[in-house]
Amino acid sequence: MAFFLETLLGGLMSGMLYSLVALGFVLIYKASGVFNFAQGAMVLFAALSMARFSEWIPQWLGMENLFLANLLAFVVSVAVMFVVAWLIERLVLRHLVNQEGATLLMATLGIAYFLDGVGQTIFGSDIYKIDVGMPKEPVFLLESIFQGGILINKEDFIAAFVSAMLVVALSIFFQKTSTGRALRAVADDHQAAQSIGIPLNRIWVIVWCVAGITALVAGIIWGSKLGAQFSLSTVALRALPVVILGGLTSIPGAIIGGLIIGVGEKLSEVFLGPYVGGGIEIWFAYMLALIFLLFRPQGLFGEKIIDRV
Amino acid sequence: MSGRKIGEVILDLKNITLRFGGVTALEDISFDVREHEVRAIIGPNGAGKSSMLNVINGVYRPQEGDIILRGEHHANMDSYGAAKAGLARTFQNIALFKGMSVLDNIMTGRNLKMKANLLQQAVWFGPAQREELEHREKVEEIIDFLEIQHIRKTPVGRLPYGLQKRVDLARALAMEPQILLLDEPMAGMNVEEKQDMSRFILDVNDQFGTTVVLIEHDMGVVMDISDRVVVLDYGKKIGDGTPDEVRANPDVISAYLGASH
Amino acid sequence: MAVTHTERAATPLDTFPRLLLNHAATRGDRPATREKYLGIWQTWNWSQVAGEVRAIASGLAELGFKRGDNLAIIGDNRPRLYWSMCAAQMLGGVPVPMYQDAVAAEMAFVLTDGEIRFAIVEDQEQVDKLLEIKDQCPSLQHILYDDPRGMRHYTQTYLQGLDEVVAMGRIHDKNQPDFIPSEVALGSAEDVAVMLYTSGTTGKPKGVCLTHGTFIAAATSGVDFDHLTEQEDILSYLPMAWVGDHLFSYAQALVAGFTINCPESGDTVMTDLREIGPTYYFAPPRVFENLLTTVMIRMEDAGALKRNMFHYFMAVAKRCGSDILDAKPNVSTADRLLYALGNVLIYGPLRNVLGMSRIRVAYTAGAAIGPDLFRFYRSIGVNLKQLYGATETCAAVCLQPDREIKFDSVGKPAPGVEVKIADNGEVLVRGKLLLKEYYRRPKDTAEAIDAEGWFHTGDAGFFDDDGHLKIIDRAKDVGKLADGAIFAPNYIENKLKFFQYIKEAVCFGHDRDMVCAFINIDVGAVGNWAERRGLPYSGYTDLAAKSEVLELIRECVEQVNADLSHDVMVAETQVHRFLILHKELDPDDDELTRTRKVRRGFVAEKYQVLIDALYTGKTSQFIETQVKFEDGRSGMVSADLAICEVKTFPVMKKAA
Repeated sequence: MAFFLETLLGGLMSGMLYSLVALGFVLIYKASGVFNFAQGAMVLFAALSMARFSEWIPQWLGMENLFLANLLAFVVSVAVMFVVAWLIERLVLRHLVNQEGATLLMATLGIAYFLDGVGQTIFGSDIYKIDVGMPKEPVFLLESIFQGGILINKEDFIAAFVSAMLVVALSIFFQKTSTGRALRAVADDHQAAQSIGIPLNRIWVIVWCVAGITALVAGIIWGSKLGAQFSLSTVALRALPVVILGGLTSIPGAIIGGLIIGVGEKLSEVFLGPYVGGGIEIWFAYMLALIFLLFRPQGLFGEKIIDRV
Repeated sequence: MSGRKIGEVILDLKNITLRFGGVTALEDISFDVREHEVRAIIGPNGAGKSSMLNVINGVYRPQEGDIILRGEHHANMDSYGAAKAGLARTFQNIALFKGMSVLDNIMTGRNLKMKANLLQQAVWFGPAQREELEHREKVEEIIDFLEIQHIRKTPVGRLPYGLQKRVDLARALAMEPQILLLDEPMAGMNVEEKQDMSRFILDVNDQFGTTVVLIEHDMGVVMDISDRVVVLDYGKKIGDGTPDEVRANPDVISAYLGASH
Repeated sequence: MAVTHTERAATPLDTFPRLLLNHAATRGDRPATREKYLGIWQTWNWSQVAGEVRAIASGLAELGFKRGDNLAIIGDNRPRLYWSMCAAQMLGGVPVPMYQDAVAAEMAFVLTDGEIRFAIVEDQEQVDKLLEIKDQCPSLQHILYDDPRGMRHYTQTYLQGLDEVVAMGRIHDKNQPDFIPSEVALGSAEDVAVMLYTSGTTGKPKGVCLTHGTFIAAATSGVDFDHLTEQEDILSYLPMAWVGDHLFSYAQALVAGFTINCPESGDTVMTDLREIGPTYYFAPPRVFENLLTTVMIRMEDAGALKRNMFHYFMAVAKRCGSDILDAKPNVSTADRLLYALGNVLIYGPLRNVLGMSRIRVAYTAGAAIGPDLFRFYRSIGVNLKQLYGATETCAAVCLQPDREIKFDSVGKPAPGVEVKIADNGEVLVRGKLLLKEYYRRPKDTAEAIDAEGWFHTGDAGFFDDDGHLKIIDRAKDVGKLADGAIFAPNYIENKLKFFQYIKEAVCFGHDRDMVCAFINIDVGAVGNWAERRGLPYSGYTDLAAKSEVLELIRECVEQVNADLSHDVMVAETQVHRFLILHKELDPDDDELTRTRKVRRGFVAEKYQVLIDALYTGKTSQFIETQVKFEDGRSGMVSADLAICEVKTFPVMKKAA
């Protein structure tokens, strides 16, 4: 039982990270109808930026305080992501308004490769360490109930907490602020939004910027576990089944979809693995997504598109 | 209607020609709109009414001609620019934000008037919240004005057609426009709804002094509420004047009787 | 209650203005009136209300309103319209609230009949109506409007905004602070307090004159009966011209000093109800019916789990809910536990949705309520009771005492009221709460109140063994089938109307060999049903003509027949044939009264051709009808109506 719970918790933790990446997809899809293949590249780009700036800033300024360095690096990275968002809008999206979905999709593929390339050119292509000072030591929970308790990583715990806070903040932002309302309006109907004086261009910059910040958070968390390296961009591929499961237009869908896949992967690997020869973790998510595409294409929370007579 | 004074020309359209590829949608059309008046553009289906409205609103840019708004040239404005210039519009097939509540929809109309920046909004308390409340008050007045209190919190997509039209008008009014463009405000309504809508349009014009430009397919209602009427047929202007003048115009009569649209 | 009996003795609180001034003095800070405006509830406390009323009264006096004048009040439930009633009473005048949805011609009748000089109306819509008929009403000299919107360009000198009149009145009141108190001092309990026009199920409306003494007595008896205090909150949303609203929102509010809440608009009542959560509630059965229909529609749309849970716990509630509410001992512990669980899961949330979470007492009256409908509300823990009365008796003749609820009775006579049954079955009433007279109609007054002082209600009923009054129908509506069996159309119609799909039903059968019925479907409920089946439709007429809908209604009627067959008294009157009308019965077409009761005679005459078709065995009938729109214009509706046969059941003897 304790083992089961441990696996479950582990799944939830990694699920939370999938959710974060999926969230980036959903945000951009909601606001601009673009399926953003570059989300993974943005995670990598953000992680690299964070890793290198936290390394460079102490060198440039000659300071030792790790916390301050990380903070500065974070601020600089946010600015970098903002510039990226701005450039994407200026150079790509603006010229593709009202184009076919496929065209936009291709454009994001282009952006993905561009970011991968430029990122590694600027920041280098090694594996870089991100150390934001998260405690690594394990904790034991529920020792009174199970013998030996449940082992979890403090780091995972904090990561999950940070992700959850980010999700809550985003939901409030979307529901309560006037910009959030404008974002939802643009997502619903571009043309109408524009004609009532919502500036489409600025909204897109904001959305991409917000997506960039979620990418940054995901990049930091992931990077501090695995290091900032090229393989991070493939994380996006993990998030793909998550959005299919949760529904492309639903923020809660992205969260729950991420959790389900995270947990599903771990549990199936541990409990089914021995029977089918292991490696389930790699294809489990895609299998689940496939099943959903067949039986519930709008996902768990997505909007069902019904054509009324 | 005695208290309302029709003023100077506020919007002047000169020799507008609009082509889509080889098709000419509007050909050399000129007319003006005076401040505080209700100006109708009528014509059979396919006459180019919607194209005309889209030109005024900056959705289409005419190949030839000029748009002069309060003495300034505006031929190259887009629809965001039009909104900034004080033009609000409604849509023939209702372009509301379906997933959002009526209140949120109307609040989006206040977007241009909102000053709080993103950072203030992120903090929420303070200036952003105060501003939100001020605008909410304005929006509530419009809700009261259009008698849609009962659907304030309802998602727009769940409303019947007639009410959606009213919300569309409410959102446009929330912009406090100088010129209100209405794209077939009464299409698909029953007699009672049409009368309500006519009353609202006249009230808006009367209470706020808003200049109204409206497109209609159905001649009957329009004639009752308009000060002046432009008649289009196949992209050309065939009549312009008071409702009575237009009604007596032989070209107009033949366009409406001859064409069995 | 803050008002003690000794205080009452000191200054006799025997007119409504005195009650108001007393509240202002003794509980000035308590909320008296609330109204939702621009999305926010605004509150006036008793001293503010007293100030407003004085200002209106002074302003009216400036305009020349004097003792004995009648003041028409027309509009939705707006605070200032309620205050205007009291203002008129302060000056010794008589408020005459009128139905706000009445068409111009009906208004002209009342305005002339009531010799009305002053009218206070809500808005432009009502002003337009009055302007239309101004020439026919020579007595009408002043029209004051509450809401100035759209009124800027009206130049008539006899039109004034209430705002101006109030402003004028405030100055007047300040300059002559003794004027109002002296006017109030002149009032007496014997003065007519209000004139309410009967809805006129028969003939032209008559003005019922009720004195301060009468109405205060009726209100006090109700307040004592249900232990109402100044803490109550009620939602005032029923027509101000209806005696029920006048009793609850005006008379009882002033007697007990509780708060009235005016909804934002007629369409927001459901939301406002939820926000206010009244503790005391009054509605005609129709409103309870509509509420239930809305709930049922929502439940049909809900997920399977929710739906099943709802049905399961509703069955539990049906079994034991009302017994628990009446604190009867015969409920098993298992049922009590299930009910408690249901209360958390279903009944509580349901009451909340209905805006009935805080209700201590709810009344229904105005028409017989279907027993099933009544049982539904009681079973979910709403203390719904019935009362019986008429405009002529200030609404309160019989009330159901707490814990003595019978589904098919209207309770026991109120304290101080005598009730007896005439030989022909008609219910007669005597007591303090009777009308003074019909305005300027001594002949009608003499007919209604006989030499011994009994008022003839026109309802047929009888007392059961416990002394509870049971009303079967209008005395003149109760008929006999050709074979002599008793035919009480209302009884059958109510059973039909309990189905959410049926909005209105009219049964025929007097002197006939069988019962046939007209049905109006409920567009909301049937429309929803049709949508779920993918049946497209364009409106009422189209929907009513669908064969699927006919089949749906046939099943409902068949169930009613099965139900009727269980009761020997009415088993003969099962519905054999019916049709669905092509248009909704509408007060604008005179088919319903303003309180939405069917005008049976008128309907029978208007649709004679349909009745003939029902009784001659035809399978369909063409009909064309003129309809009036709200603005007074008219159009035609026509349709080929299918006539449907329904299965009837042999009479069942109850196995007892």
